[in-house]
This record gives sequence, C-alpha cells and structure tokens, in this order.
Amino acid sequence: MGYEEWARWQTSRRRFLQRAGLVTLTVGAGPTLLAACGDDDDGESASTATQGPAKAPAASGRVDFLSWEGYDIPDPLKSWKSENGVTVKATYIGNHDEIQTKLKAGGAGAGYDIITYYQGYKPLYQELDILEPLDEQKLPNLKNLFPYFASKEGSFWIDPDGTRTGVPWTWGSIGITIDTRRVKSMPSSWLDLLEPQFKGRVAMPDDPVGSFTLAAHVEGFDPSKTTKADGEKVFDLLSRMAAQTTGVSPSFGDATTKMTAGDADICWQGWAAMNQFAADAGVDSFETEVPKEGSFSFCDAYALPAGADNVDSALSWMNESLVPKVNAEAAVVLVGGVTVEAAVADLPKNIAGLYRYDELDSLLERSPFYNNPPVESDEFVTFEEVQKRWQEIKAEAGSA
Amino acid sequence: MKAPPRVGPLVLTAPAVAGLLVFFIAPLLAFAVYSFLTGSLYDVKAPLTVENYKEVFETDINRTLGRNSLVVGLLAALFSVLIALPMAYWLRYSAGRWRGLVLFLIVASFLASYLVRIFAWRTMLGRNGAINRGLESIGLIDEPLDFLLYNRFAVTVALVHIFLPYVVLVLYAGLAPLQPSYLETAQDLGAGRVQRWRRVVLPLVAAPAVSAFLFVFVLSAADYVTPQLLGGTSGGMLGVQVQVAFIGTGDFAYGAALAFAMLAGFVVCYALIALGLRLTKLDKVRFAT
Repeated sequence: MGYEEWARWQTSRRRFLQRAGLVTLTVGAGPTLLAACGDDDDGESASTATQGPAKAPAASGRVDFLSWEGYDIPDPLKSWKSENGVTVKATYIGNHDEIQTKLKAGGAGAGYDIITYYQGYKPLYQELDILEPLDEQKLPNLKNLFPYFASKEGSFWIDPDGTRTGVPWTWGSIGITIDTRRVKSMPSSWLDLLEPQFKGRVAMPDDPVGSFTLAAHVEGFDPSKTTKADGEKVFDLLSRMAAQTTGVSPSFGDATTKMTAGDADICWQGWAAMNQFAADAGVDSFETEVPKEGSFSFCDAYALPAGADNVDSALSWMNESLVPKVNAEAAVVLVGGVTVEAAVADLPKNIAGLYRYDELDSLLERSPFYNNPPVESDEFVTFEEVQKRWQEIKAEAGSA
Repeated sequence: MKAPPRVGPLVLTAPAVAGLLVFFIAPLLAFAVYSFLTGSLYDVKAPLTVENYKEVFETDINRTLGRNSLVVGLLAALFSVLIALPMAYWLRYSAGRWRGLVLFLIVASFLASYLVRIFAWRTMLGRNGAINRGLESIGLIDEPLDFLLYNRFAVTVALVHIFLPYVVLVLYAGLAPLQPSYLETAQDLGAGRVQRWRRVVLPLVAAPAVSAFLFVFVLSAADYVTPQLLGGTSGGMLGVQVQVAFIGTGDFAYGAALAFAMLAGFVVCYALIALGLRLTKLDKVRFAT
C-alpha cells in the first residue's frame, strides 16, 4: 500500500486527466500577451530562417519518458512509433514536482529522454539545469503552432537569446466550475465563492502554486512578482477560501468526484475539462466559466532533460506532436486545448467547445500564462513560502 | 559416511543481513546525515546544522499535525485491537467449521486495494452516501449528516478497516497456543467468564496485542494518503508534511529531520508501552510448554 499504490492511482489515465489540471495549474505570471500574438519575428526562430528548411530526425530505439500518464499520448503516436520502430519506456508521476525530484535525485543521465514541464516551472528548471536546448532545425512542425505558442512571449519555451527549451503542445484555462443541479446561476466573481451559501460547499484542489497564482491574479498581482506585503493579502484570500471547503482535494479528479457525489457544489480553480469528466461519470450538469476578474492558463511543453541519450527520437516525438491530427487526438485524449492552429478543425465539437479558439488572444489576455513565484527572493513571495503557507492554510482551515 | 559440513547461522543469515544493511540501514543512515545538513533546492550541502530540527519543533503547523497524527494513530490502533480481539477469540474457540472460511475471507480482504477501501468509505459516509441515505429513508434524519466525512473520524474509521485484518491474524496467532484446556481449568477453579478473560486470556494475549497495537499505531500515524482523501480541513497529519518537504519544496534536509523526529516519537511511544508492560509484569507472561 502507500506511496506506490497512491501514485498508481493518481496516474491512471482517466484520473490523470481529471487531475492533470491540479498540477498543471501551478503556474506563474506572464507578461502582456497580446503584444506577443502576431509577432512574426518571434514565431520563427533565427536558426530556421538562416539554415534552410528544417527536417525531423530519424527516430529509433527506446525512448525513456518521464511525465504524467497520458502525456506519452500512446494512441495518437501509435503510427509514428510503428513506422519508426520506437518503443517507449514510460515513468509516470503523481505530481509535477516529481519530475525535478527524480531528475535531481538521479543526477544527469537519470536515463530519461523526454519530459514535460509547464510554463511556470521554466525558471526553476533552468535554475536546476534540467533543460537542454532544442535544435529547431529538427522541429519543422513548429511552423504549425498558433502565433502565441510560437512566440517568445514570457520566455516559457524560448529563451530571450532564441534558445528553445520546450515544445508547447497542450494547454488549458481555469475558471469557476459549478454543478448546476445545486448552483442555479454562475457566480460572476471569484469572491462570490466566499458567500455564506457556499460554506462547506467549495471544492479546492491541493495545488499550492496554482491556488496562489489564481488568488494573486484575483487580487491584481503578478504571482511571480508579488511582494511579501501583497502576498499577505493573497494568503488571506486563500485562507478564507480554504475555510469555505470541507477539505482540500488532493487532485482535480478528486474535486470532480467530490462534486459529482454531492459533497461540494462549486470549484475554486475549476477547469473546463471537469465538465467532460463529470459527463463521462454520467453527470452532465457541470458548467465552467471564467469570471469577471479572469483567471490564468497553463501550457505543457515537451522538453529534453540533461543527460538524454536518444535525443533524435525525442525531437522526432516532439515534432510529431505538432502534426495537426496528432495534436487534435492528444487534445481529445487529454480533454485539453490544441496548440496547433490547423488542429482545431479536427476536434470534435465537445473538445473544440472547451475554449474559444476564435478569440484566443482575448482569452489569454483575461487568463494569462504566468511564471511561478521565484525560487529565491528577498522582495517577492517565493515558491517555498507558498508551499509552506499553503500547508498552514490547510491546517488552519479546520479551525476557521 | 561423512557428515555434511555444518553451515553456521551467520552464513545462513548473511543474505538477509546484507539486504537489510543495503536497503534499509544504509538509506536510513544517509537520511540521518541529510537531516543534519543544510537544505538546498532539491539537494543538501554543508555545513552541518541542527536548524532543521529546530524548525521542525518550532513550527506551529507541525505541532498541530503531530497532535492529529498521534490522536488518529492511537485511536486507530486502539479500536483495531478492541474489535479484533473478540473476533480472534471467536475464531480460535468458537468458529468451528466456519474458521477456514472466515480466515480465507480475512486474507482475501488484502486483495482489495488500499485506495478502493478508502473510496468505499467516501461512498458510505458522504452526503449522498449509504449511511445518510439509509437514515433519511427510515426517517431518522431530514438533512444529511455532514460530520461523517472529511474529518479525523472518517480517517480513523478507514484506517481501522484497513488494518483490522492484520490485527485479527496477529491476535489469532497469539491465541493459538492457548489451549481450550487453560480456560476449562480456570472454569473448574471457579473463574467466571469475565475472570477467565481478565486473568487468563488477556495476560497471555497482551504481548501480541501490544505488537499489533504498535503496528497499527505507527502505520496509521505516519499515513499521508488517507488524511488527504478523507481528512478534510481538520484531519491533516504529519506524514503529508514529509511528502511536501521532499517533493513540493525540495527541502530534503528538512524532510529528513521531520521524518526522524517522527521516528523518535514512535520510539518514545514504543518505550512507554514496553515500560507499561514491564511495570504490569505482562512481559513475563508465557504460555506453559
């Protein structure tokens, strides 16, 4: 029993999907997004422009994968694996932080060829020297990306000097999720969840950084640059929100289950995909909307960890994930968003309807991508402080 | 004919000892060293320090969660033993032809996943769970009872359910040498049912019962999965903090110190219980051979 079984449960596909947002949503702050959208210079790397047409490398052998179950997109990549004779040895995680824990504990050459990170973790992963640069000449399908995802904005996937560190392939935004069987009208503000009628009825995923990011956004702060003084306002909001719950859910799947079982009515840090998860469980009464304050978005990217030995196959994998059909199939499997513009046409109605692709810029302006709080800072709230304060908030919620 | 050479006990136990040294003692020692090093991001570094332990004991949340762990551990252990003891007694002396089947069912219950059992309790104790629905259907309550789930009570119930089969087996094995003739003799000497339990059964079963108690106590108090799923806002426990230190904040040194502080707490509890056994002389009680 214990950890192994816990981790297995956490990463079973459906539950992974339900929970992916929990951990994926631990994000931090991005700068102005609109400015980046449509910036053609950012969308194409200098190397692509100067070194001739890009070409995906030949893939072969075994690829060692480390990330969430489902993020190895076995079905969408089936043809690619079969055509290239590639086998995948997957190691699944139960928490995003396990990626850096496993890589650091195993040291360089821990044996993994491909990982994922979501954008808020980029500074931490750079600090830990986890990310290897990617050769864009071997990623021709980067041209398929939506302009925003192809841009350097936020340096989430491309460093300011043009070095690419990740290939964004799936994303989502969060909002307020309600069960309309018990909540008749969608609240217009995150602060409505603090109303007495929701006492003991709020579901809240156990995602310290994600919750901090959302609360900072609601308070009008950038979570990666929230001063210690402003941080107290953010933590106070989180304390009051936690006191509205009967307990913090260890995953998004758990929050969904809690709502479908009638033990909660409304979700702080909800997610449009929860509607689908509930529908899969026979409950089609979930709705998710971004309230007036907006929220934040999350995007996961494939990356090459230090010490990878099957680099060409990993790059070929990343490139394949940007084939419109593959990108769309991955979105269906993961109940997520596509990063490839042409993939939208391949999406079934329910998945395409999760996000307004025709108003993507507007959506990302209201729900930006953020960076996580910094690892070290005397001025701003740090990643560690968020983790520690979150544990206190959870413990104190019971006595509130 | 020449007798085969005798293999000494040291040689026979060497593989097990080696395994224990490599896979248990060495990692434990490594983490003991970690706990005195300075935490770095997902790493540890010099110099040696006692700051980690200072932080463990000075942090309010650790005291709160430590108390929760202690209470849940003690309650789970106590109720497991109290429920298992009559079951083991019945199995040993009264089950008759049902003994084999019941023992099989107890062993078979281990096949049910730990998490399935936790979720089963959510289904039972939830607002729309079987208990609330049942009480509503017979008119005992008008509104669902909210206090059944997401608290220490729910955590304790689930842990008792999870560990009960182990404790029944331990106590059944503990009662196995206690022949029915012991009880018949006591009865012949005028001991009533209560006196037979108090003066014959309990002293003889005290040692295995204490072992089972400690087993459940340690595993329950250190659990970090059940509290997250059933504990709600009031049922958090210290094990979760260790997990957060290693995986969340990457502070291996602090996590190691926290784990060793918990270990020290368990050792103190063990010592107190052993002392209790010694003071009551129950540690001297043996089956006649």
